[in-house]
Amino acid sequence: MSQSFLQQELQPASVSLKSQKNTLLISHGRPPWYGPDGQRTSDAFVIGVAGASTDVTHVARQIVKALGSIPTVLILSQDSFYKHHSPEEIKLAFESKFDFDSPHAIDMKLFASCLADLKACRQSNIPVYSFEEHQRLEETKYAYGATVIIAEGIMALQDPALRNLYDLKVYVQCDSDLMLARRIARDTKERGRSVDGILEQYLRYVKPSYDNFVRPTSAFADIIVPGQNNEVAIELISTHTRRQLQERSNSFRPKMVTSSSYSPDLINKPLENDPNLMILPSTSQLKGIFTILRSKDTSRQDFIFFTDRLSTILVEHALQLLPYSPHLVTTPLDVPSYGKKLDTKHLCGVSIQRSGSALERGFLRVINDVPIGTLLIQSNSQDGEPLLLDVKLPLLVRHRSSAQDTWVFLLDAQIGTGAAAFMSIRILLDHGVQQDHIIFVTFLVARTGGITTLRRAFPHVRIVSGTIDNDMREGWLEGDRGEGNEEGRKIKIWVMNPGMGQIGDRYYL
Amino acid sequence: MSSSSNVPVPPPQPSLQPNALSANSVASSTSSLPSSVFTLPQTAQLEALYTIIRNKHTSRGDFLFYSDRIIRLLVEEGLNHLPVVKKSVVTPTGSTYDGVGFEGKICGVSILRAGEAMEAGLREVCRSVRIGKILIQRDEETMQPKLFYSKFPQDIAKRYVLLLDPMLATGGSAMKAVDVLMENGVSEDRIIFINLISSPEGLKTFCERFPQLKVITGWIDQGLNEKAYIIPGLGDFGERRYCE
Repeated sequence: MSQSFLQQELQPASVSLKSQKNTLLISHGRPPWYGPDGQRTSDAFVIGVAGASTDVTHVARQIVKALGSIPTVLILSQDSFYKHHSPEEIKLAFESKFDFDSPHAIDMKLFASCLADLKACRQSNIPVYSFEEHQRLEETKYAYGATVIIAEGIMALQDPALRNLYDLKVYVQCDSDLMLARRIARDTKERGRSVDGILEQYLRYVKPSYDNFVRPTSAFADIIVPGQNNEVAIELISTHTRRQLQERSNSFRPKMVTSSSYSPDLINKPLENDPNLMILPSTSQLKGIFTILRSKDTSRQDFIFFTDRLSTILVEHALQLLPYSPHLVTTPLDVPSYGKKLDTKHLCGVSIQRSGSALERGFLRVINDVPIGTLLIQSNSQDGEPLLLDVKLPLLVRHRSSAQDTWVFLLDAQIGTGAAAFMSIRILLDHGVQQDHIIFVTFLVARTGGITTLRRAFPHVRIVSGTIDNDMREGWLEGDRGEGNEEGRKIKIWVMNPGMGQIGDRYYL
Repeated sequence: MSSSSNVPVPPPQPSLQPNALSANSVASSTSSLPSSVFTLPQTAQLEALYTIIRNKHTSRGDFLFYSDRIIRLLVEEGLNHLPVVKKSVVTPTGSTYDGVGFEGKICGVSILRAGEAMEAGLREVCRSVRIGKILIQRDEETMQPKLFYSKFPQDIAKRYVLLLDPMLATGGSAMKAVDVLMENGVSEDRIIFINLISSPEGLKTFCERFPQLKVITGWIDQGLNEKAYIIPGLGDFGERRYCE
């Protein structure tokens, strides 16, 4: 069977797109889920769906479909949480003599903790259960960043800890004979069972369990949905969910990172006094490099060469911020040498696409043996808000246990409004990376941009920058054609002044 | 020449660093160094780089990678001693930026063979820079360093020269190389000698002989042993880079 028990379903965009050079699928982006203080403003919306076996999954998928263009909807299936079985239990299972329909067959504690993590916008590594092997597999499936989570399974309303996590509880009602018919159809086709085995299992376990454990939980439901002909009920659920999301989003929208929101006294506070903001010493070579990079007449070839040179210097500088411990070695002359070694458990890089990749060559010249993840963050052409489009983090960060001991170099070309920096730091913190283990490496920081909010929200994150630009001004950017901007009109943005121009464009286009 | 105005930031002393436990460095006596000598900031990170390349068990791949990192830092530091001129440019936002432009032609000269190991790092920082070569060997009769071979750019007398040799032990061959450069018309104050490790003795002799010449060194070690090897050092740089 395919691993359909966990699906991260992305809905197609509501607006059809013509093929264009620049494309941005706004409806797939996740807007900020935090406030200007860096704290999370809302949880994911969680719907629990329980009831008659085959219909539960069906209804969950219907809800996803009805929700339409909501960025990320995650279906979390109870089937993923069958307990790890002993060899005796597996033997019984293959003889269809194991009671999979008892609440005890399911690891409710793990189910609740995974759901609690996802609801709180943390990552989760969901167990994977194989119906062919009747066993939980070694592998897990990484999930992060869902706006809506649908937890489905016959026992989804059984456990009080789980019930506490739901924002909406749904019970799916179905006739017993229909249930059996569908069960035979599903298990023969998808799970490779024999009809005799299915019937035996049904009479021995499924039916009693349904009567004893499942049906009574309908009392906890907010809404009872028929298994068939339920369009009206699904519509009610999706409308309710969308309204709930709308109310939440209203609270975190405005005042994030527009430079108008900074009071002058904050602007005048010199950034140079911030011990966690390190600016490269202004040597004559550095000034010369910046002169070349800032000039609008610099050729692309020169721009790339000097960008690589600058990023190498920056990353060398940033490495001074890592911990080192004493280390004794013997030299080829067989004399002892008391030195130092890097004292970090895990190390990785994460670049913010697209312009953060301009620092990657320099990064690799200095650190050649660590994973580099990427985050695709773009701004919405309508309101300039950052949108998270893709998360590809190193395995070290995906697992919470190692994320806590991982040092992360975040790479982005500049910190202007700070919106992308803000979002990427929040993502790392959501994963359990410690704030003081994050080192942000960038060419330019704007004194009057989002840096002040960023410093206030995440004071322990360290920033290494090539220099500080004093000013941000309004500019016009060639618009990405797409939803809400079909004609590709220019977008009003904040640009650094004097700045280096659009670094990503100059490096790549 | 305006380069004298580029006063380098004094390197932080290892003893001031939280996790310092260094017996290698004599940088604590930096005050007694000749004024023409510049070291890299003696950070824990730099010390960790040196620890890797000093270790006799370090693989050749790691030796290459980590010595390249040090060489790049040295070349970047060396270039800061070259003159620059004021230059204004217009940025993509239409603003004027008052910056500096690089002034004067440069070239590298590597002392064969270990010096060649520094060429890749040089070219990563100075794209397609011209590089001259010098081969100096010890004369078996006089026991003095002797020039066997040299090949320089035609106009070397008009260029600033970055002289490359990874180790400054007694300073014999480096001094001979400077003699050769000066015979070719390069003036002493236009030569910058770049090396990874110096002995205090060699540094003293060299700087007394050429007080105008700037020396950029990554680390100053304890001293020389009876065979004139740098202690603790890192063995034979050229051997480890090319032959092991």
